[in-house]
Formats: sequence, structure tokens, C-alpha cells
Amino acid sequence: MAQHKVNYTQNAGLPVALTTIDKVVNWGRSNSIWALTYGLACCGIEMMASGASRYDFDRYGTIFRASPRQADVMIVAGTLTKKHAEFIKRLYDQMTEPRWVISMGSCANTGGMFNTYATVQGVDRIIPVDLYLPGCAPRPETLQYGVMLLQKKIRAEKAIKSQKTKRLM
Amino acid sequence: MQHQNRLRPFFENITFDRDDNEMILNFGPQHPSAHGQLRLMLHLQQEMITKAHPDIGYLHRGMEKMAENMIYNEFMPTTDRMDYIASSSNNYGFALAVEKLIGLEVPRRAKVIRMLLLEINRLMSHLFWLATTALDIGAMTVFLFAFREREYLMDLIEDYCGARLTHAAIRIGGVPLDLPDNFIADMRRFLDKLPENIKDYEDLLDTNRIWRMRMEDVGVVSKEMALSWGCTGPMLRASGVAWDIRKEEPYELYSEVEFKVPVSDKGDNFARYRIYMEEMRQSAHILYQVADMYEETIKNNQTDLMAHAPKYISAPKIDIMTQNYSLMQHFVLVTQGMRPPVGEVYIPTESPKGELGFYINSQGGPYPYRLKLRAPSFWHTGILTDLLPGHYIPDVVSIIGTTNIVFGEVDR
Amino acid sequence: MRAYTPKDDVQAKSYYTDRFYVSPQVAKQDVSSDEVFAADLEAIKAKFEVLEAYIQVEQMVVYINAKDNVDVIKLVKEELDYTQLSEMSAIDWIAKSGQFEIFYQMLSMGKRKRIRIKCFIGKDEAINSVEKLFRSADWSEREMYDMFGIEVNNHPFLKRILMPYDWEGYPLLKTYPLEGDEFAAWYEVDKIYGKEARDIIGPEIRDTARVDRYDSERFGRLGHEVPKGTKITGNEPKTPLAYQEEGGVFMIDRFDEEKSVIITDRNR
Repeated sequence: MAQHKVNYTQNAGLPVALTTIDKVVNWGRSNSIWALTYGLACCGIEMMASGASRYDFDRYGTIFRASPRQADVMIVAGTLTKKHAEFIKRLYDQMTEPRWVISMGSCANTGGMFNTYATVQGVDRIIPVDLYLPGCAPRPETLQYGVMLLQKKIRAEKAIKSQKTKRLM
Repeated sequence: MQHQNRLRPFFENITFDRDDNEMILNFGPQHPSAHGQLRLMLHLQQEMITKAHPDIGYLHRGMEKMAENMIYNEFMPTTDRMDYIASSSNNYGFALAVEKLIGLEVPRRAKVIRMLLLEINRLMSHLFWLATTALDIGAMTVFLFAFREREYLMDLIEDYCGARLTHAAIRIGGVPLDLPDNFIADMRRFLDKLPENIKDYEDLLDTNRIWRMRMEDVGVVSKEMALSWGCTGPMLRASGVAWDIRKEEPYELYSEVEFKVPVSDKGDNFARYRIYMEEMRQSAHILYQVADMYEETIKNNQTDLMAHAPKYISAPKIDIMTQNYSLMQHFVLVTQGMRPPVGEVYIPTESPKGELGFYINSQGGPYPYRLKLRAPSFWHTGILTDLLPGHYIPDVVSIIGTTNIVFGEVDR
Repeated sequence: MRAYTPKDDVQAKSYYTDRFYVSPQVAKQDVSSDEVFAADLEAIKAKFEVLEAYIQVEQMVVYINAKDNVDVIKLVKEELDYTQLSEMSAIDWIAKSGQFEIFYQMLSMGKRKRIRIKCFIGKDEAINSVEKLFRSADWSEREMYDMFGIEVNNHPFLKRILMPYDWEGYPLLKTYPLEGDEFAAWYEVDKIYGKEARDIIGPEIRDTARVDRYDSERFGRLGHEVPKGTKITGNEPKTPLAYQEEGGVFMIDRFDEEKSVIITDRNR
């Protein structure tokens, strides 16, 4: 575990800063990624662990929200079954733009070890996915790394340009 | 082109403008306090539930079907994903069932290590239960506290097998690895601090007015109801039946360790909470004794970790690398799988949630002909049908919390 | 000529079995070897026909006629103190004899004994529900119906429980493949987007050995990530442990490994 010391008066703690709107908007978006509590299976437990005391997700600005209408990112943590498939689509549709999806764990990526009749072989058959995290289950560190990569991705987007709606088809 | 969304409400045929005041509330399948993917359809009269209809299967992954298509050793990692809060207890249940089927005796050191893993898993599971239930009822601090202790246990397990959640730490015929050097010392250090931690939780909860109001006399399961619904584990013991498989039908080394089985005759949420807390203390008590047993095996030089049965179990790595016959056996066992005798077996074990049973029907082939997983949570979810009517909406959350259901195991 | 594959059992089969291999049996003891079980068996035999009974792995197995199932379980529950129905389900023997085998796993807490009551029913026959005796059978019988399609008489709510209500096929039958049939393969696409979306979304990738070369290269290259679509030369420099863009981010201090303190003692 690393403890990081920041001197806010020295580096970027200026009371006045000049920048572009793009950067400000992206700064806001990328540092307050609110995630939907979407723990479906085992990975959901690791997602909870990332939110709990040791891994402390709050320092990334990632706060779990129970309503899709308040969430920016949907972390699909666990196996998506055929019976559940319609609900993930419904919840995804309820999220406001811009929205992102992290597919956490092998089951969500490809169906994983559950190569059976009841499992959807990858959530990207239902909704568009931005980031795939490997592992069964991925460690909380992996999820945090994934969120950092998502932040990087968000910062690379043009914030003021009209967002292209993400659709699977 | 954007296609028309074809999803329609599930309740097409139900009209909501009825003459009486009955309302239907859909709860789940994605609800933060449903402990997974439980869907409840509640018929409400004002805030009172008149009828509850739990709908499960949102995490049905076809494990029984997978078992029919996998060789016995291949199925072991799949059992991890049943009760994923305490993976090793599932591994153990399956390993024990297959060992009973082929009539195998496990070396003592392996038994000791298995006991350690089982009890660590029980502690992990109970801590997790406490964390989530407290969070659902609104006690956020307890969630953070209990997860902190759970992380220490995760570290221990990680030291042993390298995984945090899905351990696959037990093999048919023994355990794959010996304990790492610092394991016992680390565990003792954790256990020494545990009573203090449990006291912290109790200080926060026991006299907490909100906690007591939401737990006491809520969700009362009578003895008859618990027996009729097939409840086991803490659900049954909170209803006044002193039945713990570790005590009554001892497996492994449970007959050699001393522990108490907490029982309550109240049957409400609070009784279940007290039982979980007491079981954590008893688990710690068992772990101290097992740690001594482990040191004894070192003293007696009992180093075997896997049973010796060349027909079913691969030889130790050193033999495989040096002896031709062992290598051939290993090759056959890995590619074709072991072929247990023809017969069937049902072996119950006491998992943290209750009676975890594996029914295996073998026809002498490398694949089980039928494997039925008897998961305790399945019936603990079913009992909600009878338990919820008469309660209010907020009670639903606390009742689901104390039944301690895990959906990997309910739906399998 | 194409090799014939049997259609009545599509589960995995061992690809090689020694012709002379005779599999051993799990030992069966006579019921008289255990006095508790012997007394129980006598009590059942006094009223009902028992086809076969033995003890296997410390549990008694009793075969009865399917029509007696409710009465036998009632007797066992009320007079012999088997107060809990731990488990019940079925086994598919259709390929062999056209029958289902149904088992009831019972537990007596007073005697600390477990028995298994079994019966056979034909392929299209129904079994009587024991839900009135044990509430736990409510869900077990629904699961059995869901998985095998066995109808249960007198059941209060016989509907699918694990699979969706509009599912077709019974998954645990031996004729049902592990990876599902045509209906299962397109279930979610048909339901959410409609049949005409099948071409756009494409079939499921069920081949576990399939490797997309470019995917796997990107997957395994932690610290060598490249943007999507970049041609991988194999000579990408290793990016050091930093999760931010070059040049830093607005108002955010960059993580510096050198300046961090590593805590090793967790009980600090």
C-alpha cells in the first residue's frame, strides 16, 4: 500500500487556473465516476471490497449509486444469464448520457467458464462495452486500474462536441 | 437505424387500478439490498405485505449440467462459484462426497489444513454477512469495520492458495499445498485481535435502538416452519433446533475439537444475529485448537498432503517427474479423469450458511451421471414466501439480510 | 460415411474406455446390519410394497412404487421421525429404460440418520406432490419440473423457477446439450432486439479454444498498452507505472512512485 503526499499549494493548488472548457468538463467527469451497484455474482463481492475500507474507492470519486439514473458507469460485475439479459438492457437505457460500461471478469467478458445454455456469452451482445477486465474474479486492484484507464479514456474525449450516442446496433 | 425496443413490462396482465387498495411492488432483480439477484413480487395492503412471491433463477448458470459434462477434478473450480463468499467450504463438500464415493482416507495433515480453511471461510462468510446486513439496515460503520477484518482473512487465504475469492484450495484426496511458513503466526495474530473486533461490532449494534427495533421480533421463524422448509444452519438453530452437522455427524476432525453450538428459541432476526456473532467466536476457538494440531503434525513428521490411491489420485509431483508409471497414471487421470465405482452418495457438510450436500450418482464413467447440489440458501429463499406476509416493507430488507442467502448457491 | 452419434444422450462421453474394464461397485450392506434402519424398513414394509432396500455409504436407500410416494413419506415423517426433507430431485434414465428416477433425501434429527426414498416413473407420467407434508418440496418440485419437465400432481404453483417462464426445453434432460439448443442460443437477442437483429449481432462464440491474435496480444500487455487499431510492432517501449497521460492532467497531481511511502506492516 502506498501513501502519497501532495502539496496542494505547490503543484496545482492555484486559486486561479486558465484552461479550456474541454478540460474542465472532462476533469469533472473523469473524477466523479459514479458507478451503478450492479453486482451480479462473485465479482460483485470484489466490487464491494473495492468500495470498502481497505481499497477505498471513494478517493477516485467513484461512489456507488443504487439508481441507474444517477450513475455514469455501469460495472457489470458477474455472470449475465439469459434470464437477466433484458434487465441489463433496461437499466442501461435508463442511464443518462454520457455513460460508460466496464465489463468486469471473465463471465461478463465472454461467458467465461460458464459455457452453458443459461449464460449470455459476453455482455457486449446486449450493450456496448468500453473496458474489459480480465480475471475470475479480478482483484480490487484490477478494478481500480480499470477505472483509471476509463478516466484516461474520458479525458481523451471531446467534451463539448455533441456526444455520439453509443449503440450496439 | 435504432431498432424498436421490444422489452415489455413483466406484469402485462395485471391491472393496477383495482377496487381494493392492493398494490404490487416489484423488488429486484437488481436491488442493492437483495444480496444478489433476488426478485420479489410483493402484494401490499397499505405498507403491509399480504403475499410474497420470490422469483429466482437470475443467476442460474447450469452448474449441475456442467458437472455432467466435466471430469471430477475439472468440476472443482466450478464449485467455488456457488457460495462465493466461502468458496473452500464448497470445494470441501464436493471433495468429501467424491472421497466417500471412492472410499478414500485423507492424511491427517491434509485434514488439519482443510479444517483451517473451512473455519477461516466460516469467519469470512459471517463477517461478510455482518457487513452487508448492517449496511442494508443503515449501519455503515459496521460494514467498514467488518470488511477490514475480512481483508486480513483474505490475505491469509491468499498466502495459502494465491486467490482471494475463488480459492479452489482443496483437492479430491487432500490439499495441494502445505501451509506457508508464516501462516500460523499470522493467523494467531489475527485471532488474538478478533474478540476485540467482535466486541466493537457488538458495542455498535447490541444496544443500538434502531438495530434492535428492526431486528427484534421481526421475521420470526417457528420451529415447525423451519423444519418444514428444510432450513439448516443458523436459520434452524435460531429457531430452537440444536442441529449442527459438525457436532451431530462429525466429519474431518470436528470430533476432536471442542466447541459449542449456539442455539436460540426466539427465531427472530435478532436471534440469528446473535448466533452469527457467537459462531464467529466459536470458529476462532476451533482455529486455535487446529493451529495446535498442525504444529503436532509437524512434530510427528506427518508430511503427506494427498491420499495414496494410484487409481484415482495422481502421485506427488516428485514421483511424476522421476517414475515412469506415475507419469503414465498422471497422464491418464488428467486427460481421461478418474473413474469412481458405480454407486451413489449424498454427503452433507455444514457450510457457513447451512447444510451443503452433494448428491453424486456415478455410473463408473469419468463423468458423474447426475450431480445434485443441495444448497442451503435455496430453501432459505423459499421460506420468504411464508415469512414475509404480515411484515412491512422495511422489514423485507432486514429479513433478507438475516437469512444470509447467496445467489450463486440459490440458482447454481 | 459419417460416424453415428447417439441422439438420446448428448452429454460428454469418455473418448476411450478399456474394453475389459469392469467398474467396481460402491459397497451395499444389508439393511439388517443396522438395527435402526432395520426397524424403519419393517415399519415401511408393513404397509407398503418395498421393491429394494440396502445401505450405501451409511444411508438407507428404499425403492418404493411411485403411487405410494406421498403415503410413504407421510409415514416416514409422522411415525418414524424423519422430520426434514433435505433434498429431492430426479435422474434421467430415458435413454436406458424410458424412466425417471425420483429421490427424496430425508433426515431424522432425533435418530441422526438419513434415508433416501426412491421411485421410478415413466417418461410421460406425473408424480404426486409431497408439498402438503414438507413445504420445502414446493420449490424442489418446481425445480424438478423446470429441469426435467416432470409434471407434479396437486402442486399449488407448478411453474418454472430457475429458467424464464417463456423458456423452451428442459435443460437437465440427457437429450439437451450443455451449450443449449437453437432457441437458447438466440434467446436474449430475440427477446431484446428481435429476430431481425440476429444477423447484426451474430452467433455466440462458444469455441473455448478460439484465439483472436490481436485481442490476446493486447490482453497480455500490461504496461505496453496501445490505442485500439494501432499496428503492434512488438517493439513498444514499456510504459512505467503511471496511469495518466503524458504532460499531466488539469488540477491533478501525478502519482510518483519515488515519492510514495510503502507500508509493509499492516498492523501499523
